[in-house]
Amino acid sequence: MSAFWYYVFTLVFFLFDYFILAMGLNIQYGETGILNFAYIGFVAVGAYITGVTGMPSSAGTGQQYILGWGLPFPINLILGGLTASALALVVALIALRRLRTDYLAVVLISLSLVLYDVINNYVPLFNGADGLYNVPEPLAGFFKLTTNSFVPFFAMLTGVVAVIMWWVMSRITKAPLGRTLRAIRDDDGVAATLGKSVFRYKLTSMLIGSFYAGVGGGLIIQFGGSFNPTAWLPGETFVVFAVILVGGVGNNIGLLVGALLVETLLIHLPAFLPSIPGHPGLIEYIDTMVVGVLLMVMLWFRPQGVVPERIRRSPFTLAKRSGQTLDDRAVVVPVAPVEITTAVGQETTNG
Amino acid sequence: MTLFWLSVGFGFVTASVLAISAVGLSLQFGITNYINFAYGDFMALGAYFTYVLNAEFFHLNIWIALVFGSLLMGILAVLLNQFLLSPFARRFSKSFYVMIVTFGLSLIILNVIYSIWGPNVRNYTMPLEHVLHIGPFLLTRDQLIVMAAAVLMMLGVHLMLKTTRLGKSMRAMSDNTTLAMTSGIDTRRITTVTWFLSGTMAGIAGSVLGIAEGNLTPAAGELFLFVIFAAVIVGGVGSIYGAMAGAVLIGMATEVSAAFINPAWKLDVAFVILIITLLVRPTGLFSRPGKG
Amino acid sequence: MAERNEPVAEGVFALRCQELKKSFQGVMAVTGATFDVPQGMITALIGPNGAGKTTVVNILSGMMKSDSGHMQIGSTDVTNWESHKIARMGLMRTFQLSRELGGLTVLENLLVAPQHQSGESLFNIFFRPGRAKREERENTERALEILNTYGLYDLRDKRSRELSGGQKKLLEIARGVMASPKILLLDEPMAGVNPALIDRIGGYIMDLKAQGMTIVMVEHNLNVVEKICDHVIVLAEGRTLATGRLSDLRANEEVVHAYLGEVINASTTR
Repeated sequence: MSAFWYYVFTLVFFLFDYFILAMGLNIQYGETGILNFAYIGFVAVGAYITGVTGMPSSAGTGQQYILGWGLPFPINLILGGLTASALALVVALIALRRLRTDYLAVVLISLSLVLYDVINNYVPLFNGADGLYNVPEPLAGFFKLTTNSFVPFFAMLTGVVAVIMWWVMSRITKAPLGRTLRAIRDDDGVAATLGKSVFRYKLTSMLIGSFYAGVGGGLIIQFGGSFNPTAWLPGETFVVFAVILVGGVGNNIGLLVGALLVETLLIHLPAFLPSIPGHPGLIEYIDTMVVGVLLMVMLWFRPQGVVPERIRRSPFTLAKRSGQTLDDRAVVVPVAPVEITTAVGQETTNG
Repeated sequence: MTLFWLSVGFGFVTASVLAISAVGLSLQFGITNYINFAYGDFMALGAYFTYVLNAEFFHLNIWIALVFGSLLMGILAVLLNQFLLSPFARRFSKSFYVMIVTFGLSLIILNVIYSIWGPNVRNYTMPLEHVLHIGPFLLTRDQLIVMAAAVLMMLGVHLMLKTTRLGKSMRAMSDNTTLAMTSGIDTRRITTVTWFLSGTMAGIAGSVLGIAEGNLTPAAGELFLFVIFAAVIVGGVGSIYGAMAGAVLIGMATEVSAAFINPAWKLDVAFVILIITLLVRPTGLFSRPGKG
Repeated sequence: MAERNEPVAEGVFALRCQELKKSFQGVMAVTGATFDVPQGMITALIGPNGAGKTTVVNILSGMMKSDSGHMQIGSTDVTNWESHKIARMGLMRTFQLSRELGGLTVLENLLVAPQHQSGESLFNIFFRPGRAKREERENTERALEILNTYGLYDLRDKRSRELSGGQKKLLEIARGVMASPKILLLDEPMAGVNPALIDRIGGYIMDLKAQGMTIVMVEHNLNVVEKICDHVIVLAEGRTLATGRLSDLRANEEVVHAYLGEVINASTTR
């Protein structure tokens, strides 16, 4: 396979993977209004757990890591997602109930830094700063894939996973659950006075979103075969935010567009450019700046994103229901008004 | 025991840097009511401004370079507020947007630093220091200056808030912006002055951090930001005096613990204190009504 | 203190408060609110500005915790319960400044309101989709009927933040009604709306009473109180000054002095 197609499928992989990551952050931020600035931390936990549950025992690999269960493909990935959710549960129990949105954001970004610090420094966990490598290529043996054919295969497999997760997510967002989450996003005080347990729903949203983060991370480690702390610096969370804000908060198609524009075209395409002689990394730095500037410009001129959240129309009308010939446009006010203001008018004229 | 006192000495230095930065962050947060996630990068940028004046051009004495470098950062903070953050804050009522903008700003500043100065460690040009024995402590003259500067600045902030018209207006705005506005306080001017102070203090803190650590790297401010957050939250968000107390507590705890456990876990000690605070007293030690 | 009028003395109380107190930063906002709300009636909560009416409403709906005192709904003590639990006890509120769920459509604003919807649980969405769908259909039909009653039917698919001030007021009430509360707490439902709409809202409130709902409304306009309210609670300086019928209160010197004075004089010197 030519290098060209290798690049193309790499881009396709990141498009689908960031679509999954964007869906996870979108249910937290876009649907529920939780500013999860630790999102990339959940992605990393998913990646590491998927890696170590899929890899054989660490003895003799030259790496140090926990578990090493050698589980087959979808199981390790699901475990990665579930572990990310478990972390979200702990975070939510400690911080979600106690803090208002902006302090929560501070605690979360702190969590992201500390996770980074712990995993980087505590080598026995996930091999420290070197990270995990030689992660087995899932299903490669089953389908007799070569190093070349693995990339397109896994890009497509990620596409399949993305479609399944998109289907699940749209079921959730279309259901009354999604509507209640959006009510909390718009005004959690009102949602509470309508009898909604804001904490419980925020927790649900955190758990679902973190599962998506974990699965997205698990796919990354299996695609690249390696994963180390430089892949998930706290600033990476911002890239996922950029994906959903540019694409369109609260709209799944928008998220795919955002993943295409930001992750695929802005982050990964320039990575294939040759570096400027004497200035290693300069392209990457400028690239990240462009993402930051683009996001600000988008927020200012088109805060709803490229594909805005659509209006969820009801399939029902009164006329359809009763079969009556009620004019759909007519405003019927069956309750008789009480004459209050006329009395006021009389008073003022008389007095 | 020597090790213990040595680490207490370092604790004072770290607490000093932390106090300057935490108070700078709290001042701005009190006035604008959103968190500036780019504050760590303000610190780093201020430190590099000092570096430019000290080591690249002019070759100023480190302390003179620090003053000018920090003032430069203060001016830049005012400009960033005027042309970027303030418009966003006025346009969007939810603080989500501004916070994400500061998050983006953080990334932009960091990469500007990387682009200009590269990822390598830089050093200030400073005369070699003799270590002084003061009681049980071992400190350099520069570390003593850092501590003295921090104490003076805390005293200065205290006097400004309590005695000057500016300080009183700032406190009024921090309590209730709308009320302050209706009672004739020029809120825009106060906001500008606050950003200048906050930016200058970020610059000082960043430069001082570079001096205390002996080197500077682009991401130093970002990593330190979390320790500042810990100090601010532990002290009680929005409270200037809480920020000072939190800075001393976190600064001491991180450095003293480093004498007994692997110093690589310094950050995590701060995080553990943060978590315990959240569990026991989520509003912090010096909570203020309306900000919790 | 004025004697309670007959229906109150005989009736059952939907909501009872005893010595509720609340201070902010050392300033006492509510210094002792004690009152009973008779079931199935329209009760007005009146008082001069700064009397603590809104604070009382916030305490009743669980949005603020009282410093001391008790509150019960029916026979259940709900003192300092979280607001969603109070809501589940059948007490719904509206807000003085409309707080619509702006990103949601008008219809969705109503559909959020019903309690314990099947489709709000992940399990049901994927394993009992039929039940969730059926319930959603029933809720939608009911919501459309309410919207039709409140004259918002044509606006059902509009984002609620795009509504006019009066339409938002109506939406607030409609949303409260959709939750089928036992007690509906209306915080100045007629403030800032045009006279024709005041009459309409008055009609809606009377209609809700006819359906058996207990209404508590904060109200400034004494004409409204006179026309539609059965029972009045007067708050002044954070405490209950008097309760009873408006006509009885007019005879109460203290009440007249504290609040009613000018208004009553204005309306009696015809």
